[in-house]
Amino acid sequence: MNKTISLWGQNLYRQFSLMLANQPKLSYYLHPLLNWNKPGVHPDYHSARIVDFRWETDQMLSVWLEPASSWIGFTAGQHLLVTLMHQGRYISRSFSISSSAALFAQQKQIRISCRIQPQGEFTQALAAGIAALRHLSISDAMGDFVMKPNADTGKTGAIVMVAAGSGITPLWSMLSSLRCWTSPIVLFYCVKAAAQAAFLTELNQLAAKQPLFELQLIETATAGRLNLVQRLQAHTDFSLHKALYYFCGPEAMSRQYSDDLIQLGVSAAAIHTELFGLARLVSEGPVKQALFIQQGKVTTVEATAGMPLLQAAEQQGLSPRFGCRIGVCYQCVCQKKTGQVLNLRTGQISGDSPEQIQLCISAAHSDLQVEL
Amino acid sequence: MMRLNELQLAELASELDEVKAGVMSQLGDKEACYIRRILLTQRLSAISGRILMVLGFLTPWLWVLGVALLALAKILDNMEIGHNVLHGQYDWMNDPVLHSQRFEWDIACDAGSWKRTHNFEHHTYTNIIGKDRDFGYGLLRLSNDFRWRLRNLWQFVTYLLLSTLFQWGVSYHELAGERVFFGKKKPDRINSVSHSDLKKAFFGKGARQLFKDYVFFPLIAGPMWLWVLSGNLVANIIRNLWTSTVIFCGHFTADVHTFTQQQCEGESRGHWYYRQILGSSNFTGPRWFHILTGHLSCQIEHHLYPDMPALHYLTVAPQVQAIAKKYGIAYNSGSFLRQYATVVARIIRYSFPGGASTA
Repeated sequence: MNKTISLWGQNLYRQFSLMLANQPKLSYYLHPLLNWNKPGVHPDYHSARIVDFRWETDQMLSVWLEPASSWIGFTAGQHLLVTLMHQGRYISRSFSISSSAALFAQQKQIRISCRIQPQGEFTQALAAGIAALRHLSISDAMGDFVMKPNADTGKTGAIVMVAAGSGITPLWSMLSSLRCWTSPIVLFYCVKAAAQAAFLTELNQLAAKQPLFELQLIETATAGRLNLVQRLQAHTDFSLHKALYYFCGPEAMSRQYSDDLIQLGVSAAAIHTELFGLARLVSEGPVKQALFIQQGKVTTVEATAGMPLLQAAEQQGLSPRFGCRIGVCYQCVCQKKTGQVLNLRTGQISGDSPEQIQLCISAAHSDLQVEL
Repeated sequence: MMRLNELQLAELASELDEVKAGVMSQLGDKEACYIRRILLTQRLSAISGRILMVLGFLTPWLWVLGVALLALAKILDNMEIGHNVLHGQYDWMNDPVLHSQRFEWDIACDAGSWKRTHNFEHHTYTNIIGKDRDFGYGLLRLSNDFRWRLRNLWQFVTYLLLSTLFQWGVSYHELAGERVFFGKKKPDRINSVSHSDLKKAFFGKGARQLFKDYVFFPLIAGPMWLWVLSGNLVANIIRNLWTSTVIFCGHFTADVHTFTQQQCEGESRGHWYYRQILGSSNFTGPRWFHILTGHLSCQIEHHLYPDMPALHYLTVAPQVQAIAKKYGIAYNSGSFLRQYATVVARIIRYSFPGGASTA
């Protein structure tokens, strides 16, 4: 009943603002007025004032943000979509929050820590513009890569965390947010070399202070890749089956460790993963034709296998709406009329019938018709 | 006029493409700041205009100022913002307020309907008799390509009425073409939207616009309701007359050419460009004047590059004119008053039988 009333209210508000301002919400109409002096603020998101920034390593930049009061907060481990304006255009990327829950509770601040990618448009723009930027836009916090407190940690033997490179960010947020330690936590932190390990000082301090915390730094340049199962089995008084696992890093790494553990009988429910970066399929194979229909006008796009349709459309001079470009924000969703697409995130192949697809993570699996 | 062969047309296309590429590769902060400033101006003038109208009880001059500001807001919304945004000129900014897929404007016409009839039909088949229904809007006889009918005798009055109610003409345009209410459906029309959806968009958008200007704002103005209602009516009419005049000066001046369907069958990109130059006409004026026309004062450049941010039409105009001259294509430009006089002359001339065929 309440739901019906709220839906009815939402619809009424939508109709009202369409009538008054020709916009689905009045905030779109007022946005140019209210944010005339904050050009980077995106109308769909919350504005966040940049309080400070610091280079954690030569490749990782931390930015402290003070979100507007409309932002409701986060659980340690969650990520959000950050948007900035670069050369007149909004670009977005998702980042894990790297600060503790306490920082937000006490000072209303959060921190994001970004690895600057040599080829990444967003991170390059952020690094180049950080000194002049005053605001960023942030989405609500999202994702379920979080610690479930007490309910399950209480009865488990230990918590095992694996971070690869910048994958440390959500895990460090979790660790620094923990207020009462009930079970041992071991963190395997894989980096090329110690100089590139962000938050190393803080992690060492925590290890010195907190007897239940153990830090294992793995410098892959010299020590090679971490063999997780071997290391865990060598650990004294450790039960693989009682532990909870948190992996954050490239998809291939998480999948490898998960598969190994599941083979040894670990329950899949005990393994939590957060993927960093979209797994790129090799863009070879037969070229498909995608017909993009925009208000009756048809554009033919040569869609290489494995290439996101969004990118293929852009190469042809089209400008569909987009956001994060990694399948998170759903701004590029549009209607596929016929044909099959490959979901680059899940590897699933769609049916042939009309459905909504995300352009940024869909590649042509057959010839297609897409309505923009 | 000399006719160009296919080789020359291909060269023409590549030269015009080069001009476009020069602008499109530089898009960035400058264009984004410009359109945001226009958007801010539009919001400020709309809101202050509506407030000043109510303050008309202090002195009627405030009402006059309010009407002028609201008319300005509607003109900016329709011309420099709406028309250009709906062409996708600012899609690259990835801004939900300025993206063609989402934009809706302060006019009776539904944005989706406009994109189909204007962006697609008019811009693809510009001035092809029988394909581009914008040439005379099915109401006016503007060249001898059309058979004379008795109703053409009083078409100048029809023109004045159309201009006054222009937003409703634009809104009804697609439904007329699809013969939703009257007439027999033309066999060659490809219909992508059902009649019921067309009707829903037409009545839905029209009702919202009417409710806003003639019910909602008068109601909240209380005792000043009649001032607000009449002020809104005047502002809408000013906008209608202005947009209609600008558009007529862009396509129906004396020297504008029309084309037959045979001439354009399987045409090359070069021929499409050639047709766009000959099918449009420019007029001159100061900078603010260009902004009020949504840069449709540079109709030729707009038709060559409908998705180029419009503020650049003025900068590429000299290059386009030089290219047109090089290929011996007439570049139709003149002062606003001179162009408008030829439009009026054209409407009156073809009220009567005969006359030249421009195709």
